[in-house]
Amino acid sequence: MNMLNPILARLNKMPRAALITIGLFVALGTFAPWLAPQDPSTQNLLDAGLGPSAAHWLGTDHLGRDTFSRLIIAANTSLVSVGSVLGVAMTIGILLGTIAGYHRGWVDDLLMRVVDVGLSVPSLIISLAVIGIVGPGYWTMVLALALAWWPMSGRISRAVAVSIMSKPHIEALRVLGASPWRIYFGHLLPGTIGSVMVYATADAGTAALAVATLSFLGLGIQPPTPEWGQMLVDALPYLESDPRQVLLPGFALTMAVIGFNTLGESIALNRIPKPLTRRMLAMRRAEVASWSKEKSDA
Amino acid sequence: MIHFISKRLKHSLVLLFMASVVCFTLVVSAPGNVAVLIAELRGAVATPGYVEQVEEEIGLNKPLLMRYVDWLGDAVRGDFGISYRTGQDVSADLANRMLVTGILIAGSAVIATLISLALGFLGAFWPYKLPDRVSRGLALLGASTPTFFVGALMIYAFSVTFQLLPSFGFDGPKSWILPWLTIAVLPAAVLSRVVRVGLEEAMTSPFVLTAKSKGLGRTAILFREALPNITPIFINALGTQVGLMTATAIIVEPLFAWQGVGDYFLAGVRFRDFMVVQACLLIFLTFFIVVNLIVDLAVLLTDPRIRRQWS
Repeated sequence: MNMLNPILARLNKMPRAALITIGLFVALGTFAPWLAPQDPSTQNLLDAGLGPSAAHWLGTDHLGRDTFSRLIIAANTSLVSVGSVLGVAMTIGILLGTIAGYHRGWVDDLLMRVVDVGLSVPSLIISLAVIGIVGPGYWTMVLALALAWWPMSGRISRAVAVSIMSKPHIEALRVLGASPWRIYFGHLLPGTIGSVMVYATADAGTAALAVATLSFLGLGIQPPTPEWGQMLVDALPYLESDPRQVLLPGFALTMAVIGFNTLGESIALNRIPKPLTRRMLAMRRAEVASWSKEKSDA
Repeated sequence: MIHFISKRLKHSLVLLFMASVVCFTLVVSAPGNVAVLIAELRGAVATPGYVEQVEEEIGLNKPLLMRYVDWLGDAVRGDFGISYRTGQDVSADLANRMLVTGILIAGSAVIATLISLALGFLGAFWPYKLPDRVSRGLALLGASTPTFFVGALMIYAFSVTFQLLPSFGFDGPKSWILPWLTIAVLPAAVLSRVVRVGLEEAMTSPFVLTAKSKGLGRTAILFREALPNITPIFINALGTQVGLMTATAIIVEPLFAWQGVGDYFLAGVRFRDFMVVQACLLIFLTFFIVVNLIVDLAVLLTDPRIRRQWS
């Protein structure tokens, strides 16, 4: 319980509503297969386009599929896709960013120029161009979005890496004769990953939006896998007769994005205490200080 | 002044060159043989002999550098080749579509500017009061709602429920309103925060204190002192948002059945029509570079501090 206290204190300072929304989204996404009351892809044309009832809590779509179950499964689809997109993007961004921060010089200049260009072109255009060349598909979508997303984490991890490299302990390691590998993997990389992760959570909202947008355009998640953007475009032709099927997935997606955006804003305003690394450093310092106290006591 | 402009133009030319290299390599690195595609498009069986003949004809057997120079020369003259899917001239298709997208982006830029200035001033006039909180909430809502959902909501509200405006098509100003509003929501939300934060910052600076001590009212200070101060920041942010509108145009044009560049690009992506993708990408990138250039020149005109720096 003692371990949990600092985490709880940290969470307390973040906007409550955003945390509840994100918690709900993550919980629904993780346990979706067990939570969904019905099979999301079972069609029953006799029950198509029904309103809410005891059997179908939020009604059915034009193919008679249970909307409530589809909305829940879509949270899972979205969570998994966003996780893999951010995972791939952060791996590329952190690797290139730390290399740029470690080497400096022309490697740094070149990589940062690429990052500048990547950040100035809208991510949708980058990912659509990649899909246009490689062809649509789930993993193409993940790759395309990751290619549009890595410059952000690349820039942040480069900044963090530069600040770490200018710290005295790196200089001390160099004097001790530590190999570049030891400095890179033992000190630079672990220090960078923590801080970049914090920023990445703020990006999750826009990533979820991008996945939904690509699915809406028919180039992301393919039917019959339920996904909010794809459910929306699926129901769009029936907007006049059955607007519920358009509005529900739209609201679900908007809620998730608002949650992540509010969290991101509070991160930007620095309401979240220091990044993981600095906290770990502080704990370590406190520990070392307590050793000397023990020694003087003895 | 002239020094600045010539330096900025040179910078833009370098960026244009980089953009052309990116567009070219993207298509060259595409998997699959383009010659086979074209041979099949012409209805012939793609025998090795015929494929070789096509390769010769469109210059695929030349060295890469030569192909780039040829392609760039054509592109500069406005010739983007023919579509692999329809066999039609890409430039001819693009000419009409650029006007449609131009109307879309210009209209929504104006709307976004008006809405964001109104919301931003509302917030700055009554800071931390109800209007400020409302404008802040609207900004969060506008920045978080997916554009395609905004479009669907607009159609549902104005075409289905109230039946005021047409839900699709491109004929006359009445059919332009919904797409304009749909695209304007996101930039208006972002820009209103820029205005609000910029005004707040300007209102705490010493020159505002001077103006207050001279006895100027709050309205007069906001419009006469703070507004010119945030103009360069606003133009900068507006430029970024106008660039981003090309991306939202890709979503909104198909939604409202507009035959614009975004719609064309999307069709190219869908059918892997490389020539179309390449041409649209080059147009988008050129558009960003030109918008950035205009923004920098406009900032130079509106910000006396930068003007003095360069003269």
